[in-house]
Amino acid sequence: MISRKASLVLVGPALALMATLFLLPLGYSLIWAFREEEADRWGLGNFAKAWEFYSADILFSLVIVTLSTVLIGIFSIAIAGYLTLGRIPWAVALLRWLYRWPLFIPFVVAAQVMRTFLAKNGMMNNALVELGLLTPFQTASFLDWRGIVITFVWKQTPFVTLLVAGAMASLDRSMIEAAQNLGARRGRILFGIVVPQVAQTLMVGLILSYVTMMSVLSVPMMINAQQPTMLTVDMAWRINAYGDYGVANALGFIAYLMTACVTWVYLRKELRERGAHAR
Amino acid sequence: MAPKIAKLFASVAMALVTTGAAHAETLYVATGGSQNMVDYVTDYLGPLFTEHNPGWTVQAVGTGPGDAGSQAILEKLSAQKDQDVWDTDVIVVNQLKTAEMVEAGLLQKYRSDIKTGDMVTSDVSRKALGTDVDGFVMPMFSSQTAIAYNPDMVEQVPQSLEEIKAWASAHPGAFGYNGIKNGMSGVAFATAWIYAFGGDAAKLIDGPYDKADEAGWDQAFADLKAFNQTVTFTPGNAGTLDMLNRGEIVMGPVWVDMFYTWQADGRLNPNLKLMLPEPGMPGQPYYYAIPAKAAHAEAARKFIELATSPEVQAEGIVKKFNWYPGIDAKHLEGILDQASWDKLFTDVSPEDLAAKAKPFPLGAYFSDLLEQYETKVSN
Repeated sequence: MISRKASLVLVGPALALMATLFLLPLGYSLIWAFREEEADRWGLGNFAKAWEFYSADILFSLVIVTLSTVLIGIFSIAIAGYLTLGRIPWAVALLRWLYRWPLFIPFVVAAQVMRTFLAKNGMMNNALVELGLLTPFQTASFLDWRGIVITFVWKQTPFVTLLVAGAMASLDRSMIEAAQNLGARRGRILFGIVVPQVAQTLMVGLILSYVTMMSVLSVPMMINAQQPTMLTVDMAWRINAYGDYGVANALGFIAYLMTACVTWVYLRKELRERGAHAR
Repeated sequence: MAPKIAKLFASVAMALVTTGAAHAETLYVATGGSQNMVDYVTDYLGPLFTEHNPGWTVQAVGTGPGDAGSQAILEKLSAQKDQDVWDTDVIVVNQLKTAEMVEAGLLQKYRSDIKTGDMVTSDVSRKALGTDVDGFVMPMFSSQTAIAYNPDMVEQVPQSLEEIKAWASAHPGAFGYNGIKNGMSGVAFATAWIYAFGGDAAKLIDGPYDKADEAGWDQAFADLKAFNQTVTFTPGNAGTLDMLNRGEIVMGPVWVDMFYTWQADGRLNPNLKLMLPEPGMPGQPYYYAIPAKAAHAEAARKFIELATSPEVQAEGIVKKFNWYPGIDAKHLEGILDQASWDKLFTDVSPEDLAAKAKPFPLGAYFSDLLEQYETKVSN
């Protein structure tokens, strides 16, 4: 048994690292969001400017990330569900082998891949035209908000699926088998028995994905040249073009708030459940 | 025997390395602008400088297009302000940021110290968007934006911003530009829009600054917002050319030099044409400047002297990269063949340029213009 003091010494370096490399810059940027450099005072000026300039982008980010999270949830349940309940062994094996691929591809590469795939004269439209499903005049570019959502979903679904499929695999199969014996269909088993039991894991996966997507710069930068765009692009723009850290920090603060909301939901649920266990 | 030979080789190698180290010096060049500007230094100017100055190598860093690229250089210099020696020797920056650097005391005067200093008499060598930069800069080149279009798809080529506006609304999605966050060709288009529809363009260019002159901008920006609904957004200066080439758009603002270079490299449909619409579009020089406490200021002056010599301006700037020369054109006479000179004016004639090539507005107007684009057009 390690003494209390020794365990503190052991976690010390990790904590110190967290504090200097993460908490300090985080706190710094949160505080400096309220600093109006030009007027040399503290206030909400940066937030007013951020809203005046980028309110559409703030809402856009929220909608895009939320929509992507929902789609990721649906797809990951579908894939993990099939991996757990599928009856054709080769199809399950193939899916298991295929679905993880995007996990190993960085966002910036995924964005580049999608650029060539989704462009007006890109691979997807060319294939559809070759198949005779579309004429060249009907093709449309998907390099807008749809492109961002497609890339996010493509990139993050495997991550959530990996977690969810793992949780599903560790479930007690006797319950699934009992339901099957009673004649339940697979859909019913999935949503009535399996998903409720892995809901916690699914939630963690989705929240982590939400936070990750909120912070991605490369994908909106490369795929969506339109307006509105995502907050990360605006932050990069304020800093790169104007050296305006105040408004960039304010935008960051707003992004923190958006992620803090979902994290709060998660923490509340977690705490409530832990409390229940303790009792 | 073998160890002896090995020792011999080792000592020769040592000697080579140490003599090399004694003479090897590196000149650090930071350049804003698109990739072609970095290529210009790494592939052409750098090796040429090494040839003229044995022992010197040139290390170029690209910081990216638009204000953001030059802002990065400004921030790097400001961060070193309190140091005795700065690590960047030559910078290549746009007008807006050069003006800010001169005002912040980050640059040194050098034009009268180099032989080519009096070969440039243009306005831009003395004033950058209204700020006095006389002596601090040498123009590397001038460049111009224009509207590129595909003549196979455009029956009646619009000759003015007004006609472009009408054409774009009749052909949704066929006009493309890159907004203001992805490179200067889009910024140039937004500026041209204000010159055309926002009131007195001459006042914006010559000053003096008066916020009241921006009264007409509200309507112009509201129209631009409506115009944006009918256009395709491209991902950058190169992105517009790419999309034109793939036929995804039919018309869009581009840099003339990039257009000709891409066409010469076979990267662009040879049928595409350029046109400078009424009342004109902006162009800009990029400047060579030397940071106030550059470590190798002497070599930096030599570098700029070489870069602005008539031979290099003819061969590198005009012939290889299709820019208009930074120094006065008369110094290139006899050095540049007529064919190369004419190539610069294939689609946009010198008369067009004289009438319709405009500078960007005064710094203060320019900043307001970019800010209002964000609040009134994109948000």
